Amino acid sequence: MNRSILAGLIQLVVTAVVAAAVVLIVLIPFALLQPAPLAVLTSFLIGPLDSVRHIGNIAEVATPIALTGLAATVIFRSGLFNLGTEGGFFLGGLAATAAVLLLPLPGFAAPLLAVAIGAAVGSLACIVPGYLRIRHDASEMVTSLVLNYAILFAGIFVLNYVLRDPAAGAMMSYRIPAEARLERLLPGTRLNSGAIIAVVACLAAGVWLFMTRPGLNLRIIGASPGFATHLGLPAGRIVMAAQVAGGLIAGMAGAIEVLGLYPRFSWTQLPGLGWTGIVVAILARENPFLVLPAALFLGYLQVGGNILSQEVGIPTEVVGLITAAIMLTVTASAIFQNPKLLRLIRRFRRAEVQPS
Amino acid sequence: MRDAGPDIADEVPAVAFNGVSKTYPNGTVALSDVSFAIRKGSIHAVCGENGAGKSTLMKILFGLLEPTAGAVLLDGRPVATGAADFAGQHGMGMVHQHFSLIPTLTVTENIILGHEPRKGLVIDRAKAKQLVRTLSQQYDLSVDPDAVTGRLSVAAQQKVEILKALSRDTRILILDEPTAVLSPPEIEELFHRLRDLRDRGMTIIFISHKLNEVRALAESVTVLRGGQLAGTSKLADVPDDAIMQMVMGRAVEVARRVPAQAAGPAVLVVENVSTDARNAADRIKEISLTLRAGEIVGVAGVEGSGQRGLVSVLSGLMKPVSGRIIFNGHDMTVADRLTWRRAGLANLPADRFGQGGAPALSLVENGIAGTDGDEELQRGPFLRRNAIAARVRGMIADYSVRNPGIHERLDSLSGGNAQKLIAARELATRPKFLIADEPTRGIDVAAAAFLHRRLDEVARSGSAILLVTADLDELLRLSDRVIVLFAGRIAAEFRNGAELTPDRLGPFMLGLKAAS
Repeated sequence: MNRSILAGLIQLVVTAVVAAAVVLIVLIPFALLQPAPLAVLTSFLIGPLDSVRHIGNIAEVATPIALTGLAATVIFRSGLFNLGTEGGFFLGGLAATAAVLLLPLPGFAAPLLAVAIGAAVGSLACIVPGYLRIRHDASEMVTSLVLNYAILFAGIFVLNYVLRDPAAGAMMSYRIPAEARLERLLPGTRLNSGAIIAVVACLAAGVWLFMTRPGLNLRIIGASPGFATHLGLPAGRIVMAAQVAGGLIAGMAGAIEVLGLYPRFSWTQLPGLGWTGIVVAILARENPFLVLPAALFLGYLQVGGNILSQEVGIPTEVVGLITAAIMLTVTASAIFQNPKLLRLIRRFRRAEVQPS
Repeated sequence: MRDAGPDIADEVPAVAFNGVSKTYPNGTVALSDVSFAIRKGSIHAVCGENGAGKSTLMKILFGLLEPTAGAVLLDGRPVATGAADFAGQHGMGMVHQHFSLIPTLTVTENIILGHEPRKGLVIDRAKAKQLVRTLSQQYDLSVDPDAVTGRLSVAAQQKVEILKALSRDTRILILDEPTAVLSPPEIEELFHRLRDLRDRGMTIIFISHKLNEVRALAESVTVLRGGQLAGTSKLADVPDDAIMQMVMGRAVEVARRVPAQAAGPAVLVVENVSTDARNAADRIKEISLTLRAGEIVGVAGVEGSGQRGLVSVLSGLMKPVSGRIIFNGHDMTVADRLTWRRAGLANLPADRFGQGGAPALSLVENGIAGTDGDEELQRGPFLRRNAIAARVRGMIADYSVRNPGIHERLDSLSGGNAQKLIAARELATRPKFLIADEPTRGIDVAAAAFLHRRLDEVARSGSAILLVTADLDELLRLSDRVIVLFAGRIAAEFRNGAELTPDRLGPFMLGLKAAS
């Protein structure tokens, strides 16, 4: 087990190096247009690490994507490609906001209860596609993708007609009461107690996946459905449990994001952090222990990009371009290292050379 | 002499294999020095057991594989293999056993796929449909060009597959076990069409297991065995038993297991069980069978005779449509897999890496999979690392599994060692009933002998074993009784003994004889 984690870590480092190379290739032409090209590179690469505040920013950015990455990891391990984590994230944030605004939650427990409610409601985004797949064999990829948008528009409806503060200029909810907000951990950043939850959740999920019987059974089902059938594992039930767990984590991530960072709920588009979570999961090779470093790495890139746009004057579009290029490289190289994909390739090769 | 008809000796054969050999990069010798010729405008059958080299030979003919030595001559000329669309250029078409059709496309679309008539940038649909009409009239194979392929019956889909194979000025048509998916009247119809094609000058290569069909259709036959040419001859010159001899090989005297003194009580009672399945391999009809404790019952039959259906029904993977299954006194007719396993079933599946284990998981994980609730291995939900490692090390030592480390992946083991580990896991449960499905296929002799000894021991300790195998040596070595499946039915049942030889089983396996 330790060896496999080490191997995973090595591959993570390789991926990070490849990504850094891509960054340089994209960034250098823009850097050369600036008066001090070298400063651009150092701001991007060293900047995120040069102060406690910036490091705190990295952790802040990493918190939601670690959780959505974990959600995607749990779901992918069951062998389903359920993309409901994005909708679950959105729904979790909305439900947590609605809970603190509409329900009489006791002050001291308000954040915890609101996060729990957000998790429970958000999990529906993963449960429904999972159920349709298991019961009716509907492609979970299609249903979850479509459901994400249904959830978005239903959410905007609720925001507009139930939670909207008419006094606020734009479409946003009433102010989230201060006692319902998550505790801030580091002055000057928005790093909040959600980060602790993310770390604990990833470690607990790693232990559960690799060191318990239910975790083993889930991995068997995801890795080799035929073997699971042979063993008589109740595949439907276990796969469903993974969708529920993944959905809960995604919903929790959304709730933590809203209660930890924002004064009001104002998402009128899918926030995209569920998608980023999928990149994190692929990068972490669907290993909860590696989700944390993977999320921190993406957080580091993001903070570097922010520094560029704020301090060096590289336009945000370029930063967006860099982030996209990195996502592409990271995903591609992680996919090439992905055991499932490699197995697929090997199967084709074997089919070619094997006599029958 | 010329006027009397074409003389084989004078004529240039449509296809000639000249000393064709094929060794795969992993060292497997699939074909060695195979030479035979096929007369133009004839139907030539190719027979042989699974793994005899038929598929490899056809792939070489089709240009999909390069022979290691030797050459293929088409119309007397050697051809360079390896070119893209090799088969199309040389007028060869193949009807695959598992159709190569795309179910959601129409018949026309399937037939023109890969060589679409074009009008500028788009497909000329009118011309395409006309092409299909012409083809189906020309060869008298009627199909609706606009039908969605997946909605057609299997026999109609096969017609589409044949038309597709014929759609490119085809001179040589290869059919790989075309009758496996058809009912008897449909087979008759197919044979009629094939004879018709032959009379129009088509050369047809017909791959089959079934001797009666070969005799009904073909003019000559080539038999492959273990990658070598076992014989090639005009069918008129060889009697059935000679062909059978060629397919099965010489009867080797095998050392048989000494059966237990007295069979124990009945463990498994199967009464008139039938399944309703599309695929012949899953279809069984009115099977009745009793397995006693300490007994090994061997199941013989050519592949696809219902073995898979029998195994599935007796292990909770498929529900029969009629009949009753009593296991250990309980009615298990509709029980699911977990119920069967809890009741004492163990299973060595034929698909080792697909069902027997998870190739991407470690030896440890594969070794303890399915032991849910074993107090020795887990405390609450938590797995006990050390206890598990000790258990798996014990299994590896007992079964002498050669391994690079217990935390390495299962697919880092050779097939034989992986099968030993799977056997160690399955037999650790002290099963009352064991299904061994092709337990030693493709694994080395030493590992196979080891597994044979284990199966013998397990039977001696009181388990009932159902041994499904295409390897007749293995069957005769281990079984106390042998049943022969043909077309989903028990064609014959024998008590094993010195007088039971492959020659006696052969006619039943090939459907030449049926139970009286």
